[in-house]
Amino acid sequence: MNALEIRNLTKSYPDFTLDNLNLTLPGGCILGLIGENGAGKSTTIKLILDMIRKDSGTITILGRDNAEYDKRIKEEVGVVLDEAGIPECLTVAQVGRVMKHTFRNWDEAEYSRLIRKLGLPDKKPFKDFSRGMKMKLAIAVAMSHHSRLLILDEATSGLDPVVRDEVVEMFSEFTRDENHSVLISSHIVSDLEKLCDYVAFLHKGKLMLCEEKDRLLEEYGLLHCTAEELKQLPAEAVRYIKENPYGAEAMVRRSAVPDGLHVSPISIEELFVFMVKEAR
Amino acid sequence: MKGLLLKDWYMMRKYCRYYLVLAIGFLILSFMDKSNMFFVFYPCLFCGMVPVNLLAYDERSRWLQYSGTLPYTRAQIVSGKYLIGLFTQTVMLFLTGIAQGIRMGMDSGYQSTDVLVILLLLLIASTVTSSVTLPFMFKLGVERGRAAYYVMIGLICGISTLMTGLFREPLRMEIRPNLLLVLLAVAGVGIYALSWHLSIVFYRKREL
Repeated sequence: MNALEIRNLTKSYPDFTLDNLNLTLPGGCILGLIGENGAGKSTTIKLILDMIRKDSGTITILGRDNAEYDKRIKEEVGVVLDEAGIPECLTVAQVGRVMKHTFRNWDEAEYSRLIRKLGLPDKKPFKDFSRGMKMKLAIAVAMSHHSRLLILDEATSGLDPVVRDEVVEMFSEFTRDENHSVLISSHIVSDLEKLCDYVAFLHKGKLMLCEEKDRLLEEYGLLHCTAEELKQLPAEAVRYIKENPYGAEAMVRRSAVPDGLHVSPISIEELFVFMVKEAR
Repeated sequence: MKGLLLKDWYMMRKYCRYYLVLAIGFLILSFMDKSNMFFVFYPCLFCGMVPVNLLAYDERSRWLQYSGTLPYTRAQIVSGKYLIGLFTQTVMLFLTGIAQGIRMGMDSGYQSTDVLVILLLLLIASTVTSSVTLPFMFKLGVERGRAAYYVMIGLICGISTLMTGLFREPLRMEIRPNLLLVLLAVAGVGIYALSWHLSIVFYRKREL
């Protein structure tokens, strides 16, 4: 079963439109939603969680319509927003007690284990936490009620590299269970590159692509060559060209590049930047 | 729902504990200046603002967005605030009732009807403030909600002044004062219930 299916989703604001979005997150997988600031990542996540009203389209979470089974779905979904949203005066222990009375499947032992693992102080109020500690607490809450789907909106931004690595490892561990899935949005593409099975690129409210990460990395590559060599390439091979005084750097389809030319691997970040520039 | 109430209880303990100290101080002062009802009324008035203040703290910490991701309905989120309001107002009415009972006992003997009259007046005063403010806040957010509240209060004051000018002869009502108080108290509770319902309707439509 797919963890998440979005079909023809549209939401319009006076200055922005999320336009006819189609996404699928298969069960047991991690989908990275990549986009610049203002590309529509948070709008998509808010629509999935029924925090804002869609204009049209359907959203199915764990096989159920998101608006119709709102409360039941939220029992099975762990969410981390870019601002954790936990009241400032609450301590870790108080948050645990509040959540115990919020989620039917709340696992106190798991919460304590994660709090210890993440090294969070028990008695300090939330307002005195650093950004990293705040996100860690929100992640601990999201992972302590046997959720089947994690939805993470910019959950790793603002974290230092060591904490980011720890957190990314936790998400990876979470999806070792084939019933668990993760939708994660970020503009820090390197995190998603490590973590994701699928990537979706959003640009100005439009989906540029949604593909298996490994397939994308196999399909595309970087070609460093001279302007002359570039001219000889078949048109279908080249997606985007960046020229400089010493030659050119091109994002190419590996299968269409003639033998003999060396195509280097491309990162998801480079791929995203090239595609956004191409779209402009 | 229990989780929401527990969260508000923790927040009240942190942010509103001085209200209780202040309220007790005011009630003690009411023993000293028996002609002035301000010290009796004021604690109940500011207790009516407890849910409004909690909502403001929720908005500041982005709890409203986060609670939208938790397994609560919008109606439960709204109802949490109204239940907290009922709780604080009941506690304050109870304290005021005891204080006024003691005051009257010390003064000229205990008269239950007088205490009841004061409590009914307080019930009206304490429910009306939050009843009027909360729907605006649930619809427009705390800042714009407060602004709308002040505009509305200004309009009511303006209309009242205008009406007073129009009716030069005082209105005479053939109604017993006690019955009037009971009717007003019922109206106060009715307004609270209507406000509760309106807030749910508004908050269901609000985009978080």
